[in-house]
Amino acid sequence: MQLDSKKHKGIASALSLITAGLFAATGAQAQINDDPVTTSPQPASSSVQSGTDFNDDTYTDEGLIRVDAAILVYQEDGGRVQAIEPVVGITYNFEDDSSLSLKFTADILTGASPYGATPWQDTQTLFNPPSTGASGSTGAVSTSDVPPDVLPLATGFSDQRYSVDAAYKTPWGESNTLSVSAGISRETDYKSFYGNVGYAHEFNQKNTTLSLSANVEYDISSPRGGHPTPLSISDGTTFNLENDHKTIFGGLIGISQIMNRRWLAQLNYNVSTSSGYQTDPYRIISVVDPVTGGPVRYLNEARPRSRLRQSVYFGNKIALWDTVTDLSARVYRDDWGVNSLTLKLATRVPVTNRFYVKPGVRYYAQSQADFFNYYLLDGQVTPQFASPDARLDKFSAVTGSLMAGYKTSRTGEIYARITRYEPTGKTSTANAPGYLSGRDLFSGTASTSMIVGYTYAFK
Amino acid sequence: MKNETHYPRSTTPVLRAIALVSLVFVISVVLSGCSSIGVQPWERDIMAKRDMQPITHPMIVSVDDHIYFSKEASTGGKSASGGGCGCN
Repeated sequence: MQLDSKKHKGIASALSLITAGLFAATGAQAQINDDPVTTSPQPASSSVQSGTDFNDDTYTDEGLIRVDAAILVYQEDGGRVQAIEPVVGITYNFEDDSSLSLKFTADILTGASPYGATPWQDTQTLFNPPSTGASGSTGAVSTSDVPPDVLPLATGFSDQRYSVDAAYKTPWGESNTLSVSAGISRETDYKSFYGNVGYAHEFNQKNTTLSLSANVEYDISSPRGGHPTPLSISDGTTFNLENDHKTIFGGLIGISQIMNRRWLAQLNYNVSTSSGYQTDPYRIISVVDPVTGGPVRYLNEARPRSRLRQSVYFGNKIALWDTVTDLSARVYRDDWGVNSLTLKLATRVPVTNRFYVKPGVRYYAQSQADFFNYYLLDGQVTPQFASPDARLDKFSAVTGSLMAGYKTSRTGEIYARITRYEPTGKTSTANAPGYLSGRDLFSGTASTSMIVGYTYAFK
Repeated sequence: MKNETHYPRSTTPVLRAIALVSLVFVISVVLSGCSSIGVQPWERDIMAKRDMQPITHPMIVSVDDHIYFSKEASTGGKSASGGGCGCN
């Protein structure tokens, strides 16, 4: 979302400080009590009591409190979006194998985001989103001049997101587990309420687990400047300031199977249906001259109000020698015309009994949505839906990552991971008119992210 | 109005291959009652390790889901949860 409010900056700073404090506090406790499990009345094994064999990683968190704290720094190339995301979680693991967890997340976003307009050889003047909220009064209309020959970017936006998640899990009978979770997320112009209930049943000597879950989400959209009339001319007009909504219902059925002593496999089918407002209220699409490719006018984009998503996920954990490999594939399709494939591979390699590295690679490819267009042609009938959003474009992306972790104690670990994301779109658009012919119009961008985290369990 | 260029959906054969692998997996699991799939209780030493749990670092899973949700059209698969963000 493209916003310029900075009123939550203080809260964001405070959350960052809390996160840093939690790192410090848990680190300090790790030094004071390097092996908290030795105080447990029911140690998992004799090596747990010794507190020295870091390779014997078979303890459970039963009866322990686990604290997780992490901070993500994310930067897109070309001065696009930068995000700083501190996350703090705490889980109470009770003696009866039930658990209660809480998680707090903050997102601080700044940078630049594509308007959606195509580049042009001359300066373009584009309207910025009005500076009003859904409950505010109409503000002044502002414009920005976009230099020639560059992808038009709305610069200088900032936004903050805060979310709270809670989850409870409890055994039910000998071989069943029930779980329930709920969360709230709030941005300046977007609120989301979501929940999930789950059931898992173990059978076949606990070699097979059947999982069922259902989720619901209710989102409230209150963009600055209101919700534009679909495919209306973008001229700074303030539209309907009433909130709009989106409701999502989803379900998942999964089966996980211990294939053999070294191989765990999981197969899921996931379906969700969403109805309501799903358009990007700040994104525009150029209507260009069919001969020169130059902009004639700009329209507010429009997307369907319903979407059906389906995916099949196949994940594996494979232990070979001292390594553990994660290997997964996901196929996805929705009724907007997007089909995608995701492949992931990562291997954890122990270096010492405390230190490990985990290189990983991810491949992703998607087709474009039926209504995706880089531009519309002047003089032709305006379609019902149109969006130039790169996320609905055809592209592929490769992600490379390197993670390293160090066990500070039997139940504590500090870890870091650096990730590079490289998307590749169409290198040129054939049949594009005039100036746009042969140009790379893909507006996705590469990014680098770094996460540093600490996790620790204590009595 | 739609761009005239049509791009072959080159991922389709791969999708079919994965669907086939998935089908084979399901059949294997269904037949597991009369085969050697699975382990005896005393053979769970490796499976009991924390590294063999489906999710070892929930914070990383959380931020990954968020990043990919904000950059790509696809979501879901591993779990039914998600969303909560106006970034897509």
